[in-house]
Amino acid sequence: MFSNMWNVFKKEVYRVLSDRRLIITVFLVPGLTIYLMYSLIGDVVSDQAEEIEQHKTILYQENMPSDLRGLLNAQLNIDILNLADLEEEYDELLLEGEIDVVLVFDDEFYQIITDQSGVPMLEAYYNDAKQNSAISYARITNVINQYREEIIVNRLSDPSDYMVFDFDSQIVTDEQSAAGQGVASILPMLIVIFLFAGAMSIGPDAIAGEKERGTIATLLVTPIKRRDIALGKVFSLAILSLASALSSFVGVLLSLPKLLQLEGSNATMDIYGITDYAAILLVLMSTVLFITGLIAIISAYAKTIKEASMLIMPFYFIAIIVGILNSFNAGVSQETIVHLIPIYGPINLLAGIFTFDYLTVNLIIVVVSSILYTALFIYILNMMFKSEKIMFQK
Amino acid sequence: MSLKVDHISKTFTLSKKQRKIEQTDNKRKVAVDEVSFEAFPGEIFGLLGPNGAGKTTAMRCISTLIKPDSGNIYLGDQSVLDNSTEVRKNMAFLTNELKLEDHFTPNYLFKYFGRLHGLDDETIENRKAYLFERFGINKFQEVKVADLSTGMKQKISIAISLVHDPDYIIFDEPTNGLDVLTARTVTDYLLELKDQGKTVILSTHILSVVEKMCDRVGIIIEGKLKVLDTLEAAKSLNETNDLEALFFDLVKESAGEEDVF
Repeated sequence: MFSNMWNVFKKEVYRVLSDRRLIITVFLVPGLTIYLMYSLIGDVVSDQAEEIEQHKTILYQENMPSDLRGLLNAQLNIDILNLADLEEEYDELLLEGEIDVVLVFDDEFYQIITDQSGVPMLEAYYNDAKQNSAISYARITNVINQYREEIIVNRLSDPSDYMVFDFDSQIVTDEQSAAGQGVASILPMLIVIFLFAGAMSIGPDAIAGEKERGTIATLLVTPIKRRDIALGKVFSLAILSLASALSSFVGVLLSLPKLLQLEGSNATMDIYGITDYAAILLVLMSTVLFITGLIAIISAYAKTIKEASMLIMPFYFIAIIVGILNSFNAGVSQETIVHLIPIYGPINLLAGIFTFDYLTVNLIIVVVSSILYTALFIYILNMMFKSEKIMFQK
Repeated sequence: MSLKVDHISKTFTLSKKQRKIEQTDNKRKVAVDEVSFEAFPGEIFGLLGPNGAGKTTAMRCISTLIKPDSGNIYLGDQSVLDNSTEVRKNMAFLTNELKLEDHFTPNYLFKYFGRLHGLDDETIENRKAYLFERFGINKFQEVKVADLSTGMKQKISIAISLVHDPDYIIFDEPTNGLDVLTARTVTDYLLELKDQGKTVILSTHILSVVEKMCDRVGIIIEGKLKVLDTLEAAKSLNETNDLEALFFDLVKESAGEEDVF
């Protein structure tokens, strides 16, 4: 009964695996591109962060008290220069990013605060459109606040009057789940996009392409049951799409530490155990069946590869939007009904698996519902292969 | 067992584009109109007609690719409507719409289609040895279809369509686009199949092929079967005893006495 399905399956897989061009575009290019792209993004982000970290602040000042100057020099990587020495307008230089911050203290600033004879003025200028300027300003403000507090404390007879309470904060986090959060916010969406992209790269050619080239009719005059064609096509597409998605997935895993800016061993996927991986694989396999079933139907409906690719696009965008929505979701839903929704359910469940927060019953629901949807798709595809209108209308 | 076409009709809905090409406002076109004929084992039945007469539609109905709106077709005691899978097991269908995938070699495709017909590997190998030898495919069996000439592709299509040694052979314009030598290989083989007692239906508009090969003919014009007889009897319908003259007369008559030539 299944021998013909197996024949179609083998032929479809062989079709892709025996074509060097397809092997490169379906299996190598996705993983490699993603690895290079994400590594590059990670490198750029980390270079930027490092550059900001190492940037020497250029501060021009007028009438700065020397004790504040000492405080700034002690705490910051900073060059403090005199505004009077500046030959150009400082606002121009701020706009160009040549200097970071300008501080203008009132004449006799230090004298007034020491005598407590008034409230002198300090004016600060910076450019919040320039990262270095904005960050320098924030750092300088911190030191100025600290300086102000010191002066207040000195004015009080009993410095402890100023202290209302002590405050100490410590980060208490499970490194595993912190890394998991990062992974959960991005990977489920990427996985679904990769599965879709994999199926899109071969699905239209395998069905719409056969219609367009007239090779489907050669198949249809053999005694093979239409159901076997549908099963063979969907399963072969599923396996190939899964392999293509895995290539992309490997690309992501390799670039993940750089992408998430998490250094150290806990940043990689070794925080997950065998059960987690098995659950991920189950979700992937059932989701890929749903996606290839859907793409197979669209491809069978379309008259040409081009038409199929165009008709698939809206579904692809919906999947991306669902993925993005999930990235912004604060928590993972444990509702059963959510897991019945195609694409959304699996993405939600994947996010749950990545954060170690999922119910086995929901995993079963995702797998079983995906299989049922796929069965429905295969039934529809079977009917489409039987329909002369769909198969042969020009 | 004979192949019986029993009052089949087939109507198509024309798309806007097709209506423009056909220069008609009618949304529906009757491609085949109440056509009946019977082809017998050990004979070649020729289905003749000008382009667009309905030959290919009738052949496609016989091949189970499309279903007639009314009427039925029987290959032996199997109906194409009720037992399409069984019918396909014992029938070869060839038309220029049925293509082979460019990426594969004749060897691979022959085995693939042999298996789809439920043959075991030994039978497939035997059939391949015989048919590839017969059509001179051996040298090209490992060359991708994409790299083969039109004639070789056609010969491979014929070989593959016959992989399961069927009793009913339905070939639509099998010599179209072939050079004289290749066309001769094909027509010789069809005569051989006839001698083996197969039921062969041949559709063509090349009258010389019909005269040389067919035992009986059906002439189809604008979807209607105008003549159904032995070749000799059909020719005698025209005073010059010439098939071409008869053919022209029928087309003229159908066009309503207009001078269509």
